[in-house]
Amino acid sequence: MAVESFFSQAFTGLSIGSILLLIALGLAIIYGSMGVINLAHGEFLMLGAYATWFMQSQLGVGLLGSLVFVFVMVAAFGWLLERTIVQFLYHRPLDTILATWGIGIMLQQGMRLLAGGELRYVELPGSLDVTLSLMGLELPLYRIFIIVLTVGLLAATWYLMKRTEFGMRLRAVTQNRAIAESYGINSKRVYSLTFAYGAGLAGVAGALVAPIKSVSPDMGTAFVVDAFMVVVMGGVGSLLGAVVSAGVLGELTAGVAYLLNDTLAKVLVFLTVIVVIRFRPQGLFPDRTRS
Amino acid sequence: MSQKWLLPLLGYVAFSVAILSVPAMVGDNVFLLNKYARYLALALPAVALALCWGQAGILNLGQGFSFGIGAYAIAMHLKLVASASNPGGLPDFMGWNNVGALPWFWEPFHSLGFAVLAGIGVPVLLASLLGWFMFRARIAGVFVAIITLAMLVVGNLLVVDQQRYTGGLNGMTDLAWLNVLGLQIDPYSRAFYYLTAGSLIAVLMAGFVLVRSKFGLILQAIRGNPERVRYFGYDVARYQSVAFATSAGVAGIGGMLYAMVLEFASPTFMAVPLSLAFVIWCAVGGRQSLLAAAIGAVVVNAIQGSLSEAFLDTAQLLVGGIFVLVVLFLPRGLGGLVEDTATRLHGAGARLRRGREAVEKSVDLPVKRGEVAK
Repeated sequence: MAVESFFSQAFTGLSIGSILLLIALGLAIIYGSMGVINLAHGEFLMLGAYATWFMQSQLGVGLLGSLVFVFVMVAAFGWLLERTIVQFLYHRPLDTILATWGIGIMLQQGMRLLAGGELRYVELPGSLDVTLSLMGLELPLYRIFIIVLTVGLLAATWYLMKRTEFGMRLRAVTQNRAIAESYGINSKRVYSLTFAYGAGLAGVAGALVAPIKSVSPDMGTAFVVDAFMVVVMGGVGSLLGAVVSAGVLGELTAGVAYLLNDTLAKVLVFLTVIVVIRFRPQGLFPDRTRS
Repeated sequence: MSQKWLLPLLGYVAFSVAILSVPAMVGDNVFLLNKYARYLALALPAVALALCWGQAGILNLGQGFSFGIGAYAIAMHLKLVASASNPGGLPDFMGWNNVGALPWFWEPFHSLGFAVLAGIGVPVLLASLLGWFMFRARIAGVFVAIITLAMLVVGNLLVVDQQRYTGGLNGMTDLAWLNVLGLQIDPYSRAFYYLTAGSLIAVLMAGFVLVRSKFGLILQAIRGNPERVRYFGYDVARYQSVAFATSAGVAGIGGMLYAMVLEFASPTFMAVPLSLAFVIWCAVGGRQSLLAAAIGAVVVNAIQGSLSEAFLDTAQLLVGGIFVLVVLFLPRGLGGLVEDTATRLHGAGARLRRGREAVEKSVDLPVKRGEVAK
């Protein structure tokens, strides 16, 4: 019994961690490569959730069918924002906090006007709305699906960053923009595409969390704070760091929530983040590049 | 030097006179007075932020933590006063949560003096500890922002969670009026407006002196280059901690006034959006000047207030848009705009004078006989 509940909590932690990672992935890329603290990330997620809701309730397209569309739509939106606003703030990183928060406020209110302020619900895909019983454990299939998809997105992102021409350009621009430009890399284009990719990931995250959390215009605020803790604790620009810190925070949340309660779990998680940043401001797994 | 003092001081005095003459202009419209008192109470956290962010370069995204503690401290006192006729003097929400007797840490809040002291002292103490913890390790920039944000979330979660002692999500409502030496101060009255305006003016004047003292100069130097200040032998972490703690105390005062003007305290005071709104007001006004930050808070709130009366839904949309534009085009806020215009005018005058002097001097450049001909 004790062993079973241990594994059950471990699975819950894994599930929380995968959602955290899913949300933080786009943020980690944008913050890690451009130093932009994108507080509108939560609103990108909210846009993704609403797009999924709209597809399902108005057009009858299921969650799985709308994932690609959601990615493209939110990515295009992110690209537009980068071109019009964010690109002017690269030399003022703290100001990006303020500008993106302003954008976030507008998106929230815009969505409230468009879709109304009430909570919206997205249905689980029928094929995934089952619970697996495995060695005495009850595992909701949708949670497993999120874990698998997160791993998939992580692998795709890793491949994009480390194995493609685009990723090489991005890493070059991140290391030294001026020298990268003198080799003929169009840094503006690299930045705007990266921002779009990060936004698209947030949109997919929004689509995936929509069935398990309720969809509302201000749903993003809580997510963006959590995602930030993951990214900063993991270390700027480190995918591995984001994975480990999402895992640690997820398991910690589940474990403490099991022993005490949900709120105290979150409190302890945030205090852990504070202590980690205090003693390792470079994060758990800092990116070893010269800046 | 005296001129450097004089112009800003005139600005501070003009602002003080302006806010003190508001009651004479609105007459007996106590609802307007209450609304303006609310704006002035909200100016205090913006001033606090200008102090630690604008002066020392410490971006505190969790100013609501101090603001909320101030609000809850005074709310605890006023709740006890309002609950005096209840059995055991127990606040209503404690009864609903099956709390049998008043918890020990509520007892001292029977005293107004203690509540006020706690509303300022607790934020100062906690900020000193957190500041000491952060700045000793030379944490700066984004990391300070994230730590303060995390601290804010912790505070908010705890207040919501400890429903038995804090009223949870509902907060503390139905507060009594402030009673100073037997005098009841209705939040919808001139007296309360003057209390708020007076507090803001006192803080601004103290801040005016502080910013221009040697202490203020060192803070600005730390903002510019902490490493160099350290080489000069200053204890940078101590200066940063003091600035951080002072700012927390000011935010605490703001929180106390805000809870009184609204007649309730709620966990939303400690929620992320309000704290980021403080940052917005401060940035719109201009973080480099305490006065500009105060004006920023009043202006943004007034715009937001009048917009939401005119067309309810789009107000936030416009406020967000204004804010993005300010960050893009006026990085030093409205205050920076005024300053730049002033220096440009002043600079143009100085250039004119210098030019005239140069012309006058060039006339009697000594030229020796025969020099030109060769």
